[in-house]
Amino acid sequence: MPILEVRNVNVTFSTAGANPKRVAAVRGVSLMVDEQDSVGIVGESGSGKSTLALAILRMLPRRTAQVEGEIRFDGIDLLALPEERMAAEIRWKRLSVVFQKSMNSLSPVHKIGAQMGDIYRIHEPTVSRADVKRRMIELLEMVNLPARVYNQYPHELSGGMMQRVSIAMSLMHHPRLLIMDEATTALDVITQGQILDEIMELERTLRTTRIMITHDMSVVAYSCKKVAVMYAGCLVEFGDVRTVLADPQHPYTRGLLATIPSLTGEKKLVRGIPGSIPDLGQPIRGCVFAPRCAHARDICREQAPPAVDPSAGRTAACHFAGAGGGEHDR
Amino acid sequence: MGRYIRKRLATAVLTVFLSIILNFLLIRLAPGDPISYITGQDFPSPQLRAELTEKYGFDRPLIVQFGVYLRSLLAGDLGQSIAGNRPVTDIISERIGPTLLLALTSAVAALLVGTSLGVYSARRPGSKFDTAMNGVSYVFDSMPPFWLGMMLSLIFASWFKLLPTSGMVDLRAGYTGFAHVLDVLRHLILPAATVVLVTFPYFFRVARTSVIQAMSDDYVVTFRAAGMKENRIFYKYVFRNAMLPTITAFGLTLAYVVAGVAIVEIVFSWPGTGSLMMNAIMQRDYPLLMGLYLVISISVAITMIVLDLVYALADPRIRYH
Amino acid sequence: MEATAKIKRTPARGLRKLLRDALAVGQLRVGVAFLILLILVAVFAPLIATHDPFALDNDMLLPPSAEHWLGTDGLGRDVFSMVVHGARTSLVIGVVAAVIAGIIGTLLGGIAGFYRGGLDRFLTETNNMFLMIPTFFLVLLIVAFFGSSIVNVILVLGLTGWVGNALLMRSQAVSLRERTFVKSAIAVGESRARILLKHIIPNGIYPIIANTTMNISAAILMESSLSFLGLGDPNIVSWGQIISHGRSYLTSGWWISASAGLAIVITVFTFYLIGDGLNRLFNPKLQTTR
Repeated sequence: MPILEVRNVNVTFSTAGANPKRVAAVRGVSLMVDEQDSVGIVGESGSGKSTLALAILRMLPRRTAQVEGEIRFDGIDLLALPEERMAAEIRWKRLSVVFQKSMNSLSPVHKIGAQMGDIYRIHEPTVSRADVKRRMIELLEMVNLPARVYNQYPHELSGGMMQRVSIAMSLMHHPRLLIMDEATTALDVITQGQILDEIMELERTLRTTRIMITHDMSVVAYSCKKVAVMYAGCLVEFGDVRTVLADPQHPYTRGLLATIPSLTGEKKLVRGIPGSIPDLGQPIRGCVFAPRCAHARDICREQAPPAVDPSAGRTAACHFAGAGGGEHDR
Repeated sequence: MGRYIRKRLATAVLTVFLSIILNFLLIRLAPGDPISYITGQDFPSPQLRAELTEKYGFDRPLIVQFGVYLRSLLAGDLGQSIAGNRPVTDIISERIGPTLLLALTSAVAALLVGTSLGVYSARRPGSKFDTAMNGVSYVFDSMPPFWLGMMLSLIFASWFKLLPTSGMVDLRAGYTGFAHVLDVLRHLILPAATVVLVTFPYFFRVARTSVIQAMSDDYVVTFRAAGMKENRIFYKYVFRNAMLPTITAFGLTLAYVVAGVAIVEIVFSWPGTGSLMMNAIMQRDYPLLMGLYLVISISVAITMIVLDLVYALADPRIRYH
Repeated sequence: MEATAKIKRTPARGLRKLLRDALAVGQLRVGVAFLILLILVAVFAPLIATHDPFALDNDMLLPPSAEHWLGTDGLGRDVFSMVVHGARTSLVIGVVAAVIAGIIGTLLGGIAGFYRGGLDRFLTETNNMFLMIPTFFLVLLIVAFFGSSIVNVILVLGLTGWVGNALLMRSQAVSLRERTFVKSAIAVGESRARILLKHIIPNGIYPIIANTTMNISAAILMESSLSFLGLGDPNIVSWGQIISHGRSYLTSGWWISASAGLAIVITVFTFYLIGDGLNRLFNPKLQTTR
């Protein structure tokens, strides 16, 4: 059984007021994550990847966000779960998250150890203070931080160290699934590499499954087994990292890969993808990428392509997937 | 932290020094004869003139005069009040107590009232209470303190006869002991209320903005994700972060409250340095005026340093770096 | 990575959009409406006033009536006319003082933030010092020594109020000088002074405008305190002066002080509204309601 099943999930934001504007941030996304799959969700700003993550975590504001569809975590229907059970049993215990902004992820006027312990005790209220402290220091050592960090304040640590603290905190109850939302984006490349290595090691030892959300394809290429490409709220391609990188099926994915300059190999012209994402407040007819796609035909503008469904062999949401459209961009 | 305090101390010392220089220069720069400013006489007798010229060194170079001035300051000599014919220091020390009483109680009360309202308002942004409170705070901010004092006195003392109109004690009753304390408190209510009403809006705004800002800080998201109860997030974490600007605000208010209190004192004939100042202005008692200004500047500078110290202790980012 | 279509920006389009956005802010609608009213009262004071504000009369301490809308004071002067004429004093003093403070503050702050170095340090230090000085007493002292003409009052208020503006402009200048259009202007060889005047100040002026509005309120309040204490210009009508006179008749002629005071409250409140509205206009992130 897959550890996470997302089926046809839509997330719509409505603004308040007399004329509410409805923005479809996530449209009909379905994917499945198996145990120990490390999945990377890639997309530009506004693609809906973070929104999807927050929907899974049920952390979207209830008043403005409407989530439809099915999300099953270890077989449990998350969207049907009452909030108290979500907070008490699922969030942080079995399904955890690391966010991007590391420097402020803890209160600057309280010590790190105290805050970690406070968070720990939410789900483990009966553990003695001494034990909590011991476990927090073990956590810090697990992410290669010295024990003295326990008594320090956030401003005394570097960005990379703070991010490690965040990671340690997210893993404190040994969750089955960890979502990392742009967790390495704010770091320099060297620290990013180190942390990715440490994450991959921790995944193995703790048997955690990771979902990595990022706009940086190289992070996914380095550290993930599978990749999901999102565009304007839709899932446009999903599959094995190596396969997708070697032979991308969707024109958007191809465009994304063409923007990465190559350190080795032939010198290619680095090209951007012309145009910008569509207005998510308007209903979209046909393929969501059609306005920017160099190969768009009439059918693309009229009919939405079939959704990605790996079990049916479909890895890309494109009418012409697998039809060898690749030769146009090389 | 040591560096931070040293910097603030340097600023304070500089400020006080500047006030001293200003005091020194003012009677020499102002139109007219410095000696007439000191004596209050337009045509002082030659003997008096010679005496004062000797004492202040008016015939010596400016630098020497300044040295003389500094030395007299350090000896505690702020000159002689023209109207009172007593040393300025004596007069001021008599009247500073009531001013401190009024100023400190009002400042603290304004802090408590304004901050609580601000925090309460910030937790319900956009609510009716919040909008109403915002409006109310601006209205009180627009009121001249002396006018508000007069109106309060009119309503509560004259029309409703609930509270005394002026003074600090009922001179005819001659209370002692606890009754005296109560008497003072009774007289304190209206002037203190006036100052509090015009001062609390500032604390309200500072607290409100600060809490709203802190509620959108990233650690709040982390704690929520981890399952922490909203109340705990707020009272243990957000509150401590949000209160830091209030400490700064209190320090800044003190410089203002001293002025606001002075005018209110005048309206209520509160026997403090405020009404002293009014008389000094009316009578053009320049030595007294300048002495007052110096004392007030120094007290304000000292208070601000103390508050800077409190802030440095409260914010670990400054304390440990 | 994305090519966006260039929107043609004409100055007229920008101004119209600004006006539209401005009118959407509730505080600005109300505030500007009141402001127009105030300006009209001030400008047409001699026409609106029912009597000569300086005319003494035998009808002393009359309560508000059809003849004297706000009653008369202890010397028989018509309170309504005095209040109306007082509007001129307050507006003139308030606006001129705040504008002086604004100009000085903008220039000094801009120079400090743009050129950095010694001037910057000097400015920051001065600002810290000013924060520690009880400015009111300083103003009091200076007016007591140098006289209380309207010019003196305006100058003193202007010269003590520039510090806040300087700080604001400085931080704007510091961040603006890193922007590409400024860097390219430097690279192209435009003189530093020109860049300051043409690029930095016009782009960074917005918070100064809002702050200046607040400064007008502060100046009006300060002036009223000064005239209440008898340190204002004795030759012109001023609300603080009226209140001071009314103090002697607080119980028998409460309408004297009450009216003048209310006039101050309404005027200052109007400028606060406008300042608050401007802040919301230029800084939509601060909007937590509506």
